[in-house]
Amino acid sequence: MKTYFRELSVLVTLAILLVILAIFAPHFYEWQPLLSRLTAQVPALILALGVGIVMISRQIDISVGSQFGLCAVLAGTVAANGYGLPTALAAAVSAGTLMGALNGWLIAGMKLPSIVVTLATMVTWAEVLRLFQQGKFVNLPAGIQWFGLSQLGGQIFLISFGCVTVVVGAHFLKTRSLGRYIYAVGSDAEAARLSGIHSGWVTFSVFILMGVLAGLAAVLNLVQSPQVDPKCGVGLELRAIAAGVVGGIAVNGGRGTLWGVFVGLLLLSTINPALTFLHVEAYWEKAIQGLVILLAVVADGFRVRHHSR
Amino acid sequence: MKRSQFLTSLLAVPAALLFPSCNKTDSAGRKLTIAFMPKGKGNSYFIACEKGAREAVSELGVELLFDGPTNTDPAKQNEIVENWTTLGVDVIAVACENTEGISGALKKAQQKGIKVVTYDSDTTQDARSFFVNQATPQGIGEALMDEAARLCAEEGEFAIITATLTAANMNEWRKFIGSRLASKYPKMKLVDTKPCDDQKDKAQSEATNLISANPNLKCIMAICSPAVPGAAEAIKQAGKAGAVKLLGLGLPSENRAYLKEGVTQSVILWRVADLGYLAIQVANAVANKSLNPGDKTFKAGRLGELEIEGSSIILGKPFLFTKDNVDQFDF
Amino acid sequence: MSPQTRFIPKQLLRQEFLLLMVVLLEVGFFLCTAKNFGTSDNISNIIRHSAEIGLLTLAMMPVILTGGIDLSVGSLMGFCAVMFGVITHDWHVATPPAAALTLLAGLLAGAFNALLITALRLPPLIVTLGTYSLFRGLAEAITQGTKTYRSFDSDFINLGEIHWVGMPIQAWIFASAALFFYLLVHRTTFGRSFRAIGFSPEGTRYAGISVQKRTALPYLLTGITAALASLLFTARLHQARADAGMGYELYAVTAVVLGGTSIFGGTGTVHGTLAGITAIAVLSNGIGRVPAVFKAGVGGELAALLTGALLLIALTAPGIGNHLAKMFAKDSTNLEKLKPSVSQHAQKTPILPS
Repeated sequence: MKTYFRELSVLVTLAILLVILAIFAPHFYEWQPLLSRLTAQVPALILALGVGIVMISRQIDISVGSQFGLCAVLAGTVAANGYGLPTALAAAVSAGTLMGALNGWLIAGMKLPSIVVTLATMVTWAEVLRLFQQGKFVNLPAGIQWFGLSQLGGQIFLISFGCVTVVVGAHFLKTRSLGRYIYAVGSDAEAARLSGIHSGWVTFSVFILMGVLAGLAAVLNLVQSPQVDPKCGVGLELRAIAAGVVGGIAVNGGRGTLWGVFVGLLLLSTINPALTFLHVEAYWEKAIQGLVILLAVVADGFRVRHHSR
Repeated sequence: MKRSQFLTSLLAVPAALLFPSCNKTDSAGRKLTIAFMPKGKGNSYFIACEKGAREAVSELGVELLFDGPTNTDPAKQNEIVENWTTLGVDVIAVACENTEGISGALKKAQQKGIKVVTYDSDTTQDARSFFVNQATPQGIGEALMDEAARLCAEEGEFAIITATLTAANMNEWRKFIGSRLASKYPKMKLVDTKPCDDQKDKAQSEATNLISANPNLKCIMAICSPAVPGAAEAIKQAGKAGAVKLLGLGLPSENRAYLKEGVTQSVILWRVADLGYLAIQVANAVANKSLNPGDKTFKAGRLGELEIEGSSIILGKPFLFTKDNVDQFDF
Repeated sequence: MSPQTRFIPKQLLRQEFLLLMVVLLEVGFFLCTAKNFGTSDNISNIIRHSAEIGLLTLAMMPVILTGGIDLSVGSLMGFCAVMFGVITHDWHVATPPAAALTLLAGLLAGAFNALLITALRLPPLIVTLGTYSLFRGLAEAITQGTKTYRSFDSDFINLGEIHWVGMPIQAWIFASAALFFYLLVHRTTFGRSFRAIGFSPEGTRYAGISVQKRTALPYLLTGITAALASLLFTARLHQARADAGMGYELYAVTAVVLGGTSIFGGTGTVHGTLAGITAIAVLSNGIGRVPAVFKAGVGGELAALLTGALLLIALTAPGIGNHLAKMFAKDSTNLEKLKPSVSQHAQKTPILPS
């Protein structure tokens, strides 16, 4: 109970918001749009899970949005040239793995600070994409959207995929040895090293995993419409980090769960539609989002202080 | 100390080698240089513009510099103009993001003897000699509102999706959409305006929310180019094709499929490549003094004789793309 | 002087010296290859265009030195620009008191960050990520996103253009700010404690220094500096709008780190930061003047790419340098002594500590 305090408090906030919506805007619960809204969040969820794991290991990755955009355009171009979805997926995941490996090598191998390394790679990948794609949309051939399934089938598949990833990921972190090592390295790298964990390899694997997830997320986004927008990754890194933070992942590492990331993202991605449904003017959106992030951390600050006394 | 001496000499060598050998004077009899700036790089609209500009450049045998902001920094256009001014170009043709914000920089360029023309969106009149006008903000705003009214039979709720709330040109259009709405279509109601950060996926989410939050919504007006296909996908997924009409400003190539499926009803745009072509023609003529203030017409290469209103050169009325004519356009 | 104590300042000196070399090489390269690079008009452009980011960078440096970060500076510029517009246009206050009120607004916003970070002991990265959204959001809410404040006093607008003793007014403002931050960080005991806090907050506390109070000051300074930058920005652009300073926080962090300040805090100098600002400003101006680059129209993209590359090289160079030095040095004991202390520190706080 105590260990899931943050997850539960976010869940309660989310529940209150959902009740308000149920009373004042019952249209929010219409089946089809709800399904579309949830499906659209699956790529962000996959990305946020990756960033969550990175943050648990006491690192950060702000290049995920650029990685996502580059993978999406690459996969789109492969698919548009008639190579089919499996090849596109392989291309995106390989590209993601390479970009993740570069980050991982610079951070774990060269011992450079992750925020600076990923700041540099964020700019690099974004500019490379702009130079090559010049902002042009990629038009995908028929049969790519929804994996060639019906819209309903595709949406149910994507949502289930997202949920399964959360369950598997949370289980992996909690029970598998690499998962425990990530927490260990995140809470105290020196202690982890002394207890025989090779912290460099753990950090490296975390960034590889991040790259793989970025490539995967890009493909899960690509199958939702017949065109790829090269700007699709812009700003995603902040959403992913915010989801983790709201969901209780400590920036100092070693603390937090993927369930927290999951409810954090659900809360953040409910705020924006809620404003539309409650007819709040759009110009309040950023201020309200900032307030929610601050409230989440302030609440945590008070709780931690209380406990430490 | 030995090492510091070594380093100082390392420093001195490139300085001594490089500095005096520099020679920056321009050679005489060079080609006319026209600097051409979009509102933002990596935007398909301005890529089409650039294509037209390059066509005119090769016809006229002048030199083209193409550069523009690569991010959302509102100061970037000013900086590029000021850099071009010190670079020593002959003409600057710019699509202005900020009407007033950029005028100071353009006036400084004029003081240095550089000719200035604007295209797509204007600056203040005293900061340029001619404006290549594809359509006035008023013309665009009213065309959008009239077309929305036609699609909805002048009755019912509609919503707008814009790029960002701070985008100056779209705010101009929204102003004229609002005034046209107030004066001509009393039975129509604007229920919401949402930004999509110029991203297709965000536009799709916003449209999904708008459709389901406003069950009586009859029409969505997408006034930035990625928003049109984004909103179309939302309408399609909601199964509301035809029930919720969609119109917007966008490129035919990005909307062809949705137009044919009947999800998008109309897309309004001028021939973007011609806009770039004309801007270069005007820039060249202004520099050659073959186009002077007070002229009534202008002969613009393959576009023929065009009318001049005051100091605006009119490209022609915007096109309305529908499923019937979209295949005739290749941009 | 023992060899060990002599080694560390020399090491720092060398890093800044290398960066200075980079700046001189850039200048030399661009003087030869870039068109009209060395003209007085262009030099004044470089200063005017980088003054706002330069000011933010100077203020960011002590924040990072204490082991923190402030991601809200760009958004705060937007908020302050809008506040200045509101105060002059809606409240009809004359320009000088309005400017003072704007500085006060920036100071209060900075105090809000400082309060959350020091009193509640929240991680700076997360607090300022929240205020990054909040300040920009407030700016948009006040203007409803759409309103642009125009037509300011001509005297005020002139601030963006005029020269004083041959230099743009921004140069003097920036130089004063640089001097202020130099004296604060290097010549006062208060400022010297920033480095101690960044190196080890606990140790500093045991040494009898009030860590919370001293950590608060850099955030107050970023607040007031962001307000000052927003005034210069408004004067230069002749308008105040909610999108002022968009993305500037990343430029500032980049310049600070390039200037040799450790992102974990504890080490860094103001003169290094100045070299970092100059390296970026000269690069982004000069690269767009190289004929091959401006003819291809890729100045903006190349400047960003090269800045990213420069950052990575600057970070890896000391490591590689040490490695090479170890290979060539006959007596490598000093280097061996240095290595573990650096990596230990890096491992203790891999990302920003609270």
